[in-house]
Amino acid sequence: MRIPGILAAALLPLTALAAKKSTGDRFNDYHSKQVSTLASIKIDDVSYGEMTKAPRDYAVAVLLTALDARFGCALCHEFQPEWELLAKSWTKGDKKGESRLVYATLDFADGKQTFQSVGKRTLSSPVLLVFQPTVGPNAKPDGAPNRFDFVTGTDKAEPIHAWISRHLPDSPHPPLVRPINYVKYAVTTTAVLGGVTFLSVAWPYLLPVIQNRNLWAAISLITILLFTSGHMFNHIRKVPYVAGDGKGGLSYFASGFQNQFGLETQIVAAMYGILAFATISLALKVPRMTDPRAQQIAVFVWGGIILGMYSFLLSVFRIKNGGYPFFLPPF
Amino acid sequence: MRLIQWASLGLISLVAADSNLTLESRNILPSTFKPPQHFQNVNLVRNINLEKNYVRETVNVVIENVGKEAQSEYFLPFEPGTIARIGGLEARDKKDPEKGGFVAEVAVTDEQSSTQFYKITLPTPLQPKGQLTLSISYWTLASLNPLPAQIGQTDKQYVLYTFSAYAPSAYLTQKQKTKLKLPTTDVPDAVTLPKSLNTEGKEDPQKQGTSFTYGPYSEIEAGALQEVSVRYEFTKPLTHSKLLERDVEVSHWGGNVAFEERHWLTNRAASLKNHFSRVAYQQSAYYNPPMAALKELRFPLAIGSEDPYFIDDIGNVSTSRFRTNMREANLELKPRYPVFGGWNYSFRVGWNGDLSGYVRRLKTGSDGFVLKVPFLDGPKQVEGIEYERVVTRVILPEGAINVHFETTIPLISNTTSLHRTFMDTLGRTTLELTAINVVDELRDRELVVMYDYPFSARFRKPLTIFGGILLVFVVSWVVGNLDVSIGSKVKAA
Amino acid sequence: MAAISQGTGSKFFFEGESGRNTRGLLRLIILVTIAAAAVASRLFSVIRFESIIHEFDPWFNFRATKYLVNNGFYNFWDWFDDRTWHPLGRVTGGTLYPGLMVTSGIIYHVLRLLSMPIDIRNICVLLAPAFSGLTAFATYLLTSEMTTSPSAGLLAAAFMGITPGYISRSVAGSYDNEAIAIFLLVFTFYLWIKAVKEGSIMWAGFCALFYGYMVSAWGGYVFITNLLPLHAFVLICMGRFSPRLYVSYTTWYALGTLASMQVPFVGFLPVRSSDHMAALGVFGLLQLVGFTEWVRTQLPSKQFQTLLRGLVLVVFAAAFGFLVLLTVSGTIAPWSGRFYSLWDTAYAKVHIPIIASVSEHQPTAWPAFFFDLNMLIWLFPAGVYMCFRTLKDEHVFIVIYSVLASYFAGVMVRLMLTLTPIVCVAAAMALSNILDIFLVAEQPVEGAQPQANGNPRANGPTTATEKLASAIPDTLRSTKTPVVGIYSYLSKSAMTGAFTAYLLLFVLHCTWVTSNAYSSPSVVLASRLPDGSQHIIDDYREAYYWLRQNTHQTAKVMSWWDYGYQIGGMADRPTLVDNNTWNNTHIATVGKAMSSREEVSYPIMRQHEVDYVLIVFGGLLGYSGDDINKFLWMVRIAEGIWPDEVKERDFFTARGEYRVDEEATPTMKNSLMYKMSYYNYNALFPAGQAQDRVRGAKLPAQGPELSTLEEAFTSENWIIRIYKVKDLDNLGRSHQEAGAFEKGNKRKKSGKRRGARVLRVD
Repeated sequence: MRIPGILAAALLPLTALAAKKSTGDRFNDYHSKQVSTLASIKIDDVSYGEMTKAPRDYAVAVLLTALDARFGCALCHEFQPEWELLAKSWTKGDKKGESRLVYATLDFADGKQTFQSVGKRTLSSPVLLVFQPTVGPNAKPDGAPNRFDFVTGTDKAEPIHAWISRHLPDSPHPPLVRPINYVKYAVTTTAVLGGVTFLSVAWPYLLPVIQNRNLWAAISLITILLFTSGHMFNHIRKVPYVAGDGKGGLSYFASGFQNQFGLETQIVAAMYGILAFATISLALKVPRMTDPRAQQIAVFVWGGIILGMYSFLLSVFRIKNGGYPFFLPPF
Repeated sequence: MRLIQWASLGLISLVAADSNLTLESRNILPSTFKPPQHFQNVNLVRNINLEKNYVRETVNVVIENVGKEAQSEYFLPFEPGTIARIGGLEARDKKDPEKGGFVAEVAVTDEQSSTQFYKITLPTPLQPKGQLTLSISYWTLASLNPLPAQIGQTDKQYVLYTFSAYAPSAYLTQKQKTKLKLPTTDVPDAVTLPKSLNTEGKEDPQKQGTSFTYGPYSEIEAGALQEVSVRYEFTKPLTHSKLLERDVEVSHWGGNVAFEERHWLTNRAASLKNHFSRVAYQQSAYYNPPMAALKELRFPLAIGSEDPYFIDDIGNVSTSRFRTNMREANLELKPRYPVFGGWNYSFRVGWNGDLSGYVRRLKTGSDGFVLKVPFLDGPKQVEGIEYERVVTRVILPEGAINVHFETTIPLISNTTSLHRTFMDTLGRTTLELTAINVVDELRDRELVVMYDYPFSARFRKPLTIFGGILLVFVVSWVVGNLDVSIGSKVKAA
Repeated sequence: MAAISQGTGSKFFFEGESGRNTRGLLRLIILVTIAAAAVASRLFSVIRFESIIHEFDPWFNFRATKYLVNNGFYNFWDWFDDRTWHPLGRVTGGTLYPGLMVTSGIIYHVLRLLSMPIDIRNICVLLAPAFSGLTAFATYLLTSEMTTSPSAGLLAAAFMGITPGYISRSVAGSYDNEAIAIFLLVFTFYLWIKAVKEGSIMWAGFCALFYGYMVSAWGGYVFITNLLPLHAFVLICMGRFSPRLYVSYTTWYALGTLASMQVPFVGFLPVRSSDHMAALGVFGLLQLVGFTEWVRTQLPSKQFQTLLRGLVLVVFAAAFGFLVLLTVSGTIAPWSGRFYSLWDTAYAKVHIPIIASVSEHQPTAWPAFFFDLNMLIWLFPAGVYMCFRTLKDEHVFIVIYSVLASYFAGVMVRLMLTLTPIVCVAAAMALSNILDIFLVAEQPVEGAQPQANGNPRANGPTTATEKLASAIPDTLRSTKTPVVGIYSYLSKSAMTGAFTAYLLLFVLHCTWVTSNAYSSPSVVLASRLPDGSQHIIDDYREAYYWLRQNTHQTAKVMSWWDYGYQIGGMADRPTLVDNNTWNNTHIATVGKAMSSREEVSYPIMRQHEVDYVLIVFGGLLGYSGDDINKFLWMVRIAEGIWPDEVKERDFFTARGEYRVDEEATPTMKNSLMYKMSYYNYNALFPAGQAQDRVRGAKLPAQGPELSTLEEAFTSENWIIRIYKVKDLDNLGRSHQEAGAFEKGNKRKKSGKRRGARVLRVD
């Protein structure tokens, strides 16, 4: 194996045929393996070196990933099925292996050296390497492999397919075919039908519920509280629910004006809710009380609640915004 | 035609146009004009002062009438290129200066001829064989040119001044000499003339300290020129104002005179060899060497001036200081950036003065007033500033009539018009005066304006304002009614 | 109703006509005072600095306004601006919302007419405060439509006048579309409510008119375009279809659509883009429902009616399907990017980085809400809840508006602006409710008869709910029993005092926020000297004015798009890209030039005839909003177009950090932006001590070398640095070789060559 390799490297034009012959079977068995499994080939450090060593008349697409739960690489897990789908549909697309492209997956667990050699220390996201063929019809002068970092958070197969196709311009690109998920369709249709029938049956009983003001009031108030307490921020920025402070305890309020925790927003929403509810009681409930004493007490209870909550809210806000000068007793 | 040619003579076409216009208004001589040789210069001494960034020439000449009959027209020749840069030319009798200046005006021949003339008219014709000592003085603007034209940011600057060793004259000159006053002794080259020319057989120039002397020379016939040049160190900005617009707005009701000046400055100094380097500038700021960059402008204002402002096209310039007390009112401005050679800076400054300081009521007639303001303020720099063109507008109160003015500054035009602004019904009487080739030594020249401001006119403004307020009340009344209707709508809800 | 509020009102005022006048006058005075307060609280920046246009977009609006005033309306209408987006140019007249400029243009000319020659700049600076006064008034009107309490409207007006949420976009000098748009928004809603209540074509017509004005003034008009249909739709679903609704909606839609199509920038969008399809659909639905209602009145047959109802549903479904089909087939443009990114929140980040890069398009964290609305934020839900008490059509509107607006505000900081009015209205309703109850002077006697406005049954619930009154309480649980009133003076005074205190606190908060957060022109920076005095940092204008005075009229300036408008406005020089980000590729080109090596950037700059490059560098002053901090966006946007030539990954160190010091990646160190930022910088410091005060990084001892650019100007505090793009070398060498040669032996030649270059500036 090695001798002809060196030969080929030494006097390429002459021994191109030899090289082809010598390496051809390499590709073929990879390919046949792939066709049989219809999945990317699991490799480790050894087979990685084997697969990517020059000269080769085929291209290799290796996904360096960390699927072990220890490394907590969410993106890896998200992308893995897409990757397999890509490999599958590509292999299906050319059974005869005209594109001469091998899909391989290298998990960090079996490929630590490779990860080192590629210079990938962080395991937060997978990395895709494409090795161009070094000999053969569409050979490139062997440089570093083309590298795709999943920094922009792409976890769909389409862009990757496009990227690979761009880097292998003059070989066929089997289209990416997503399998139709029959089960999903079936489930949804049945669900819809069931829902419709249920509605038609239960309508007389549902109608009053739907038309109940309290229900709608509750819904709208909850949504408003949700949004005004920055829920969308959590949703978009994917902020942690709660974080520990340095001293092993929990910090409920993120420092800084421009970030927040999930729990924090819930606390704030609760405060808003309580304040609003107290106001409502003062405005609507209290004046309807017929017993003066009870009313007096109610007024002071609610008033006290408002005062306390509001001052607490202010104090919390001072945590977020250092220079804020205003406060209310007691907090 | 002439306009174009002068513009091509390295002149801002604007000014060319106007100075040209003014020349049109004077008497045109035929292109073949040769001043009649009635006079000869018995003795001529010319002093050229190069201490500022404009050139001041003073010619003291004893003239004698060699003609048959009395003469009153003495001609002074200039290069066509230079005559448009000559400013403030004054001629008076050396013997009794207090008699005041003679009439001196440009006498143009058309552009074929190589020389232009100033015609000095003697008040009393000079009898044959009679002698008179004329003292002629004038400025030449934009006549210093940096050489080399490009220097480093902190290098010394050298300027080149080219002139004729023989004082240009339209008449035969018996005896003459030219004295140069330089600002420094660092004079790398000055053109030397052979001993042969000099009467006393000395090699010119003869140097004593910072003063150079060419001459004496004798029997120089009319129109003879001997071009020489000196190159000396002058590491100061050659501040050159393309245009200065100045407004003086008089308000009797406000008891206030508002001044505003709009400057378009450029620095004629040597441009930067490399581009501007902030590092070098900040480092040099510590030991503050002389620089060809314009860093600061100082306006000594009239005492009692107040609330000054300093703005340019894009708003207020915060780098200004105003130090005022009983004795002085100094406005110190820093341009947004140091104005290096070839850079421009345009800005406007304004301030207020108390009316009583400038306007007095005439004894004769109750409505007559006299306004006395400097024709131009503007910065007062050590190295001086030259103005290509100054336009001063005096905006008198609405309804001011029969306006007269006096000033000792040679003007090229004056117009009276109406200027319509805040709450004016017919507009304010405005006097617009234009002068060219002015230098900052003329800062203290007064402008005196006399006008009548009838009692009736004085009540136009309050009536207008009263009307306006009345309108406001009516409107608010209408709004009030409207609001009631809105209120009732509220109830209808 | 009239009787009632007059009843409550007459507790304080005389009876009858005179009483109404008194109240009217009082209201007028209060409103004028509120307007004055609103204007006054927006003048901080003018007093502190000067009357100057703020930030970025306003500079373009200002420039456009000047163009309008100088060249007249029709030239403005077809204005092709060749001084932006060089070499493409921009069809400015057709791609802007002219409302703002036209408004100030009209004001300008009217003042001229009154012989008040006020500088157009001052008009532009003070337009926003003036309109904020009007907004307060409009809010008063809107609120007065919602509640019977006379105080609510005034409260709302006061809130609207001073809420930071609105001040943030309407301080003096922030001459932006929002300045007038918010007034138009609120007023249009008021007119709509009026129309729906009275079912009068006149009000609907006015509504359409102001809707048209709004369309001409702000892109946010889409909010109205979708909110009004939604309101109508919900009303229909609640079985509240009425001729009033029919008349007002149809009138508004027909006229409003026509009006909106008069704006060139909008053109045929109202019939071609999905953003507007909801309005069209509801319009159709209304016709159907109206038709059925009519038929129902004609023939009473039960089955036929059910048939009709089914028919309506079918037709509606069919129409909806048809719309979808059109959209898919592409006849109707799909949702516009900005608008779509509101729904699919991840969309912008991936597909339109330019939108994602703008800070005001970021989602809103809760402190921002509290910062902008303070106590209103918790009065707001209470007010919304009270709308459910007597759930009339206008209250439905409030509820919908509240929910939608709070969603939008949550997704985009900028849309806090649309939330603010409704918050003010709702909060005012809640607060006025409390005050009305606790400020009543006389004590209720035991078993006083209920006041009418407390009793929900007085204003009948809908028929549907009435049927089920037995099954489930048809009204809010909190308002079943009649209102009695407050007995003890103690509690009255206590509550009144407390809420007065809160209101005072609110005022303090608003003033503080306005003066600290929203009053900086961001063109002029203010810093405090050790002795506490204010020191003004004016680098932007220093550099812009230098460009304006000392470069040629047509010298092209390349900078990141943030500064495009300012360069156009203050330096008056052509720019490559500006804040009107209509051409992503062009911006990406600039991004590429900034983030590539000199060898790559130089040809790009030559191709675009760039004469000067302007960058912002805060390292010396610790000014964090500089280009190095924005750099990653340039890289991302460039990567979007040239994924192979520019890679964001290469600007991060192996440990995934973004650094500028020794460890910075080679790509970073070789990028043009990095070189321009730190060129000659370490000459300021003793060797090896160069410090970047923003990144807090110690810079490499060896400063970067520039070969294709040369430093032309650097402002006093180094915030702005301007570089001149060198000409091609006279001897045809590459600039690197030339530079090396210069280093070898400095001869006069260099001076000559530069001299030639200076002269060349044509």
